[in-house]
Amino acid sequence: MSLKLEDIPFEEGVQKGIENDFMRQAVSGAQGRFRAGRLKQAQELGNWEDWRKLGEEIRTHTVNHIDFYLHQLSEQVEKRGGHVYFAETAEEANSYIKQVIQTKNAKKIVKSKSMVTEEIGLNDALAETGAEVVESDLGEWILQLEGDHPSHIVTPALHKNKEQIRETFAQKRGYTGSSEPEELAAFARKQLRSDFLQADVGITGCNFAIAESGTITLVTNEGNADMVWTVPDTLITVMGMERIVPTWEEMEVLVGLLTRSAVGQKLTSYITAYTGCREEDEIEGPNDYHLVIVDNGRSNALGTEFQAALHCIRCGSCINVCPVYRHIGGHAYNSVYPGPIGAVLTPVLDGYDDHKDLPYASSLCGACTEACPVRIPLHEMLVLHRQKIVENGDTPFAEKMMMKGVGMWGGSPFVYKMSTKLAHSALKPWTKDETIENGPGPLKAWTAVRNLAAPPKQSFRSWFENRKKDGEN
Amino acid sequence: MAVYNRDEFLNKLAAKLGRPRRTEGVVRPVWRVNPQYEVFKGMDQEELVDIFANQCEAIHTDFVRTDVAHLKNVLVDVIKSYGGESIILPKDPRNEIYGLPDCFNELQQDTNIHVWDYTIGKENEKIAERANIGITFSDITLAETATVTLFHNKHHGRSISLMPKNYIAIIPKSTLVPRMTQAAAIIHEKIEKGELVASCVSFISGPSNSADIEMNLIVGVHGPVKATYILVDE
Amino acid sequence: MKVSLFITCISDIMFPNVGKNTVEILERLGCEVDFPTLQTCCGQPAYNSGYLEEAKGSMKQMIRAFKDAEYVVGPSGSCVGMIREYPHVFKGDSEWEKPAQELAAKTFELTQFIVDVLGVKDVGSTFKGKVTYHPSCHMTRILGVKDAPKILLQNVKGIEFVELPSGEDCCGFGGTFSVKKPEISAEMVKEKSRHVTETGAEYLVGGDMGCLMNIGGRMQREGKNVKVIHISEILNTHN
Repeated sequence: MSLKLEDIPFEEGVQKGIENDFMRQAVSGAQGRFRAGRLKQAQELGNWEDWRKLGEEIRTHTVNHIDFYLHQLSEQVEKRGGHVYFAETAEEANSYIKQVIQTKNAKKIVKSKSMVTEEIGLNDALAETGAEVVESDLGEWILQLEGDHPSHIVTPALHKNKEQIRETFAQKRGYTGSSEPEELAAFARKQLRSDFLQADVGITGCNFAIAESGTITLVTNEGNADMVWTVPDTLITVMGMERIVPTWEEMEVLVGLLTRSAVGQKLTSYITAYTGCREEDEIEGPNDYHLVIVDNGRSNALGTEFQAALHCIRCGSCINVCPVYRHIGGHAYNSVYPGPIGAVLTPVLDGYDDHKDLPYASSLCGACTEACPVRIPLHEMLVLHRQKIVENGDTPFAEKMMMKGVGMWGGSPFVYKMSTKLAHSALKPWTKDETIENGPGPLKAWTAVRNLAAPPKQSFRSWFENRKKDGEN
Repeated sequence: MAVYNRDEFLNKLAAKLGRPRRTEGVVRPVWRVNPQYEVFKGMDQEELVDIFANQCEAIHTDFVRTDVAHLKNVLVDVIKSYGGESIILPKDPRNEIYGLPDCFNELQQDTNIHVWDYTIGKENEKIAERANIGITFSDITLAETATVTLFHNKHHGRSISLMPKNYIAIIPKSTLVPRMTQAAAIIHEKIEKGELVASCVSFISGPSNSADIEMNLIVGVHGPVKATYILVDE
Repeated sequence: MKVSLFITCISDIMFPNVGKNTVEILERLGCEVDFPTLQTCCGQPAYNSGYLEEAKGSMKQMIRAFKDAEYVVGPSGSCVGMIREYPHVFKGDSEWEKPAQELAAKTFELTQFIVDVLGVKDVGSTFKGKVTYHPSCHMTRILGVKDAPKILLQNVKGIEFVELPSGEDCCGFGGTFSVKKPEISAEMVKEKSRHVTETGAEYLVGGDMGCLMNIGGRMQREGKNVKVIHISEILNTHN
């Protein structure tokens, strides 16, 4: 199961993104708002760096003891009447869930937004059961009607404008109203309300599972996850194995970091903590509950220098500050997980073969690392990925040769000094008015869009030597 | 109830971590920094009320303050402003303590009042779905985020605060704490003592909303479109 | 105070004036400046491309070159940031970890050195013109130097200082990124050029020649009349 969205070369996706003016404007505007919101919240707390350190410490401890906490979680869920299925692969998870659906003979399934179900391709797998699957997050619903993929992990339909959405509603659901967001949302509310009421099975993701009580915490603004967990008698939660915390107290800290970092809110409208099956005489909530805990490549990171990638709480703040994401959009990453965290996580989960451009889709500016509420050194991990790709011998031949040269040059003062003397004359044929507008070889990519200042005749070191001599004379 | 593939799965994780698997003895450390306890530390209830009231504005929620004696009038006004019609509420001893039945007497004859009754099963949910207004008491109230905390049970269905178009929370002043930290600590302590946590604990901060269409804030998506928090001095 | 100049390969070969200005500023502030000629490149191009072994060759050479220095000062947030990473790169290496730590501890970026080590906030220069400042990513985020360059600029006599909108956004240089992912890099530098133009500044100043070479090259290509200069040029002007 590849995390790839489409079978196209990376550069093609980049080009498509760059040429999509609406998307770029939308992303740029969204980034501005998200960023301002996050900074305002951080400022209001005053000691944001302490919060980040606490977030990091909690995540580090939890992932270091992930076997213990998952064991505890599963015991607690079982105690509260739930089934727990540990799935090593996407296929295992999907086939277990399919089996539950088939046993229930379910006709309609409602889902709340979940990136892990995108990752394992659950909706495609469920299509085989014949049941209708309805995404209930407004953004996800829009994309589902259209057959499109999320381009952002928090606001999945960021790349769509309201005209496009009106058109989709009209074509797929006979909508006759305007493109006013309120009217569009009111229409969606009505349509989805009837889906909720008819659903046999609900499927949710998981923001934080609480080990001490077997509780699943869901974070939304719309309240759709609450609808999913209230109406159907059968409920399935799919969680990436690392989405766990020891107790309610850590859940609280991380939820606050999540909502502030994700959308600049102190909390979202709905934070709901569900535990197992409904109690005796309770009318709502499931009487048949299944928790599916998914590895799907996450364990590749355990015990390696990529382990901290599992600390991610999926707030998307790295995406919201990333200049590369701003210009190319989410789809260009060609992975379920876009942006800096996507570039780090995707190759960990899914290997380099399909994703070896991702670690290079970064100028290593470090904005992601600075924004991350749990202090994942994202840009350093991108360098680590590059090291792995080099170690595997998977970089282009010309680059290998060049880097060998760079190594020799930097390692030898003699070779280096020679270069300071030769640079000027070597580039002379391309130099005009001390500027190179159309450089040779590797400079071509540079001069395609910008000039290059030509190296002057005299290097600094030669100036300094002369100055010293002059001084001595 | 069953747990599938656990040993295989967790043994592998432990192996990757380079140590034997652990099923006991892991102690949650004392975290080196704990900024969560510093927020609004030492503030009295009045200061918390101010913070709470200010935050209500940020979350598009109307804030009304009253005392027990005047709650009836205030509640009647809010219900009328939402158009009355039909109301659903949990079966909660506080209904009587705070004089809600008395208040409902003030409403028009044709206002439908339904108190959650588990003996009629799913019918409760259907009533909630049709109801114009849901009313609940807050069990713990978070000042920082203007959040009401609800512990649901057989007398307090989840749809009461979720499905009607309008939501009213009655907030006894004594339920006010600085932030979610205190609520989490209360729940954690109960769990440590062996108590079972409610099958559903909701932290609700205002009406439902979405920014999924061009980042425009739309208030009222799946849940309530409007919300009022009534803070009651005791 | 004895200072060894870490010129950085880019300024050594491409922008010698940056070195000249740096030397003169430091001397004016009372430092005795020497130039260890065995220095090469900090190793960042290879390191950031994932060529760890090739990078280490450079890094070891730099450690050797500055072994006897009291302070090492360089006119680049990015290259100094790289040297500060050496202990991390050589972690667990019995031969090189300790000397890497020693070098990292005594190496400073120019403005950081002036403000934090020398304790000087006004270098006494005069500069006439409208100036905006690009806070380069590695200077601010890797090295953590945010205030020092601004403090020094704001104390220059005659200067008209304007903030650069979205200044913290990367200009798209990223070393080999600019030629490895040129399409993305191009969009980033175009955006930066727009922001610089918006300020109406005559000069764009920065503390990293890589970024400035990128932004300057783009603005020149666009025919924009903004002079892109290293901060040392302003700090060493007395007109």
